[in-house]
Amino acid sequence: MNHANSQVETSVANLSQSQEYKRLHRLERMLLLAAKDGKRASMDELKDKTRLLPASVSRAALWLSSKDLAKIDEEQRTTISLGSEGEKFQQKGFPERILSEAVLKAGGKIPLEKASEVSGLSKEEVNIALGWARRKNWLQFLKDKGRTFLSVEKEPVIDDDEKLISFLSKSSAIVNELDAKLTEGLRILAERPDVIVRSVNVRRFLTLTLSGLNLARQVSGIVEELSQLTPELITSRKWKSVSLRKYDIKAPVSSVWPGKKQPYKRFLDELKLKLVALGFKEMEGPIVEFMFFNCDALYMPQDHPAREIHDIYYVKKPSRGDLSDYSALIRKVRETHENGWETGSRGWGYKFSSEESKRLILRSQGTPLSVRMLINEELEIPGKYFSIKRCYRPDVVDRTHLTEFNQVEGIVVSPNLTFRDLLGVLEKFALEVAGAERVRFKPDYFPFTEPSVELAAYKKDVGWLEFGGAGMFRPEVTLPLGIKAPVIAWGLGVDRLFMMNAGINDIRNLFTQDLEWLRKQKVT
Amino acid sequence: MAEEAEGDLETPTIQVLFNDLQRLLGMKLSRDLDELNDMLCYVKGEVESLIEDELSIEIKDGNRPDLWSVEGIARELKGALGIEEGFKNYNIEGYSGVEVLIEPRLQKIRPYIACAVVKGVHLDDEIIREFMHLQDKLDQTYGRKRKRTSIGLYNFNLITPPLHYGASKPTAYRFIPLEGDKEMSLKEIVESHPKGIEYGHIIKSFEYWPILHDAENRVLSFPPIINSNDLGKIKEDVKDIFIEVTGTSYLTVLNTLTMVTLSIADRGEKIFSTKVKYPYGKKKTDVTPKLEERKIILELDYARCILGLDLKDKDFLNLLRKARYGLRQIDLKTIEVTIPSYRVDVMHQVDVIEDAAIMFSYNKIKPRWPQLTTFGGISTIESLSNIARELMVGLGFQEILTFSLTNKESLFDKMNTKPAHVIEVSNPMLSKYSCLRTSLMPGLMEFLSNNTHAAYPQKIFEVGECAELNREDRRVDVEESRKLACIVAHANTSFSEIKSVLDAFLINMGLRCELDERVHKSFIEGRIGVILIAGEEIGFIGEISPQVLENWNLENPASGFEISIDKILKLRSALERRN
Repeated sequence: MNHANSQVETSVANLSQSQEYKRLHRLERMLLLAAKDGKRASMDELKDKTRLLPASVSRAALWLSSKDLAKIDEEQRTTISLGSEGEKFQQKGFPERILSEAVLKAGGKIPLEKASEVSGLSKEEVNIALGWARRKNWLQFLKDKGRTFLSVEKEPVIDDDEKLISFLSKSSAIVNELDAKLTEGLRILAERPDVIVRSVNVRRFLTLTLSGLNLARQVSGIVEELSQLTPELITSRKWKSVSLRKYDIKAPVSSVWPGKKQPYKRFLDELKLKLVALGFKEMEGPIVEFMFFNCDALYMPQDHPAREIHDIYYVKKPSRGDLSDYSALIRKVRETHENGWETGSRGWGYKFSSEESKRLILRSQGTPLSVRMLINEELEIPGKYFSIKRCYRPDVVDRTHLTEFNQVEGIVVSPNLTFRDLLGVLEKFALEVAGAERVRFKPDYFPFTEPSVELAAYKKDVGWLEFGGAGMFRPEVTLPLGIKAPVIAWGLGVDRLFMMNAGINDIRNLFTQDLEWLRKQKVT
Repeated sequence: MAEEAEGDLETPTIQVLFNDLQRLLGMKLSRDLDELNDMLCYVKGEVESLIEDELSIEIKDGNRPDLWSVEGIARELKGALGIEEGFKNYNIEGYSGVEVLIEPRLQKIRPYIACAVVKGVHLDDEIIREFMHLQDKLDQTYGRKRKRTSIGLYNFNLITPPLHYGASKPTAYRFIPLEGDKEMSLKEIVESHPKGIEYGHIIKSFEYWPILHDAENRVLSFPPIINSNDLGKIKEDVKDIFIEVTGTSYLTVLNTLTMVTLSIADRGEKIFSTKVKYPYGKKKTDVTPKLEERKIILELDYARCILGLDLKDKDFLNLLRKARYGLRQIDLKTIEVTIPSYRVDVMHQVDVIEDAAIMFSYNKIKPRWPQLTTFGGISTIESLSNIARELMVGLGFQEILTFSLTNKESLFDKMNTKPAHVIEVSNPMLSKYSCLRTSLMPGLMEFLSNNTHAAYPQKIFEVGECAELNREDRRVDVEESRKLACIVAHANTSFSEIKSVLDAFLINMGLRCELDERVHKSFIEGRIGVILIAGEEIGFIGEISPQVLENWNLENPASGFEISIDKILKLRSALERRN
């Protein structure tokens, strides 16, 4: 099926009139209608009428003839046209004419040996010219004192052979269609080589039989059928008198694909929407972070194992950054680590290194964003904040590990917040955002929260899942940041949540490199 | 399972013997894992496996070394289960007569040592094995793989005091290492003994290495590598144990000694002290172990505020007794809490309050959704990114997601450019992920190269963070920005195709751009331009050079652009201010 085909077909509107007509192939119908006047028509004529390819016309003609709807007859035809000599004659004239007219011009008589010189013909041409000129009675030989002279007495008449050449110079001709004179000319020229070229071909004609004619006439209301509706058809209103061809709507077509969002990004988008609906504002923060915000301000002691090179990416160059804007804050954090500062804590009791704070790393968790929010002058209390950001940890990359992962981080800061509120937020997240059915809480440990809790949620068909950790920021974290109100905080991994929802087993597929999969992946 | 857990420094996995735990608790335990887990919640523990008598427990608290032994777990559970509540007193019976003399050179090498003696210990094979577990666990986690602290146990009755904690040339001492059969020099141990190979790096760089020997010059230990087989082998018939901890952190050394001493004391009768004479620092004589309790004041109202539970004073006292604190009510508002010496984690009253919550049981606390009126919203850069993504999707592009950690080969070599402004990490696990992307374009090219089998045209885009070293503002070293990049690839793509996309995109962003010709080796010369808006460069657009296509094994032409969403945000806000 060719949708782009805009050929005009002639066809029948009321197809129900003839079962036989219905059974005809499209090509057969076109031919039937093209020959419906009952006249004998050549394949060429039919080709022009239907604008089909010659092969299609012959094919359809054979089908019709096999069904006795048409008969085919053949006609042999000889076509003549100018050959290479003929072309020359046409341009320069016949050699016998050139010679005769030259002799006449030279006084009607010249010696034979001067024939070439006077006429400008070659010796060979002169010989041919002499033969034909004498045969046409244009020229005689005269003998005088042993010398031969050529004599022409009058202007040579134009013969039939010359007429044919001139006729053929306009177009080729069919032998049977020539008049008597030209036929005579052909007879004469046939003796001369390469003047006339003959070609024989077979022409075929189609004539509808009586039953063919009946079938063609039986159907009434003939209209044009089109495959393509065009702007011209619409504006000219010609569409009213045509019908649009039926397509094989079951035929396969070429593929196209929509532009669409990456499925994991879409999932994160929706997660964000849900958090926004719960009143959370999104936080932004840098990937390249100071050790200070990633760890120190979170009261993680400077020799904590999670700060070692196995767990945090260190920036090669520059290895340290400028923290001078935060010197007052760093002093409080340092004292808190060393002796508890004004937090009521006894601190970790070691010597804090400000150099270590300046170390540049790739954030290993979402929590530094919360720290930065808590010292941001735009912080609102009460306030709820979240981020879904990529975090980085040195790891191999395989089916179950990535070296960068997404973490949902959230904080709520408000006077009078309690551990119960923390559990309430976690429960809400698990039930409303992650679609779990039940939640369970377990004691947990993080250096920066106390009390700390691990959230597990039950999902149908999956079972109990560990979602991540949460807690209330320790006073050793909040007080140096200048926050007197309680802060509840949680950090949950979402990569696995999406994998379960999308039925993905290989974590690398979150960042799939498979375009065909993306094109076909169901949008949920 | 245990192998895997070994690697995790933060949450140690403890191997205990199920029968031994029952014996220490004096009660029968269910072997049902759910029931066990419910019980182990009190010690932040979770069963990893229970195979016959071998019970593996993950302790999810990296700051509670007192829970990293079966004795410690039993001590805590006895309180939680009501078998033995309140403060457990550990007395020092007297001076053991062991004095430790320290060589001044150690100040720069491994300065601290603390020792204790426990007498009347009832040992059997199983208990010895559990001691070895405890020792190893503390070395690995709290001891930071023996760098910060390491522990040694000895048969007290074979040792002749005073002991010398000395510094030795690598070849000066020879002894038979634990479980070995021939004498080796310290140097030989570091070079060829498995423990020497594993831990030798801690002391290798020093000229002198730590050595602990007794008055008869017999080696106890080559800290932190290995004990001697003669004195450091604990067998069933050993009754009195000498414990020694060396390390680089004074506090950790003392705390570690406390953990080990109390665990062994739970199996024995009496604890005796030792004297350590420091020639440096405050040059004092230290008496160890230090088992003094501390006091902390708990404000009841503060505790109620934190937990959100309306508990009576009596309830609080009961919960804290279960957590094995000593308690004295000072007045209606405050309680004096006695912190046992092994509770090194307690720094603030919130630590005590958490214990009350754990003993109350988290799952009995009713969650409450905080009724706060706050307005949610996504960040401005995220909103604009979403608009950009919507437009690209509308223009028929498939969004993709790629890693932001990549490598210089992809970022520069394959793109036919020279490395510039790139932020590398100093400790990559794989060289493939060794620097942050400066541009999204190479990630898109890699994606195309992985999809040469997929039908063309291919139209892809990504919005994501890029980072590079700052070119201008010197105060901030790193410049991060949100970028958008897109590529069209098919047999007939051209510069004009991608320019149409850029035009459509920017018109819908309310912006108009100019293109300025530029040379950029990733693109075909004369088909690359920088995108300027109001004179500022916001990105580039061009037709990818055949060399780059070849580098990525691509056979179809491709063209694309990359622009900074951050800069678009600034331009749009500037426009809005003007209007």
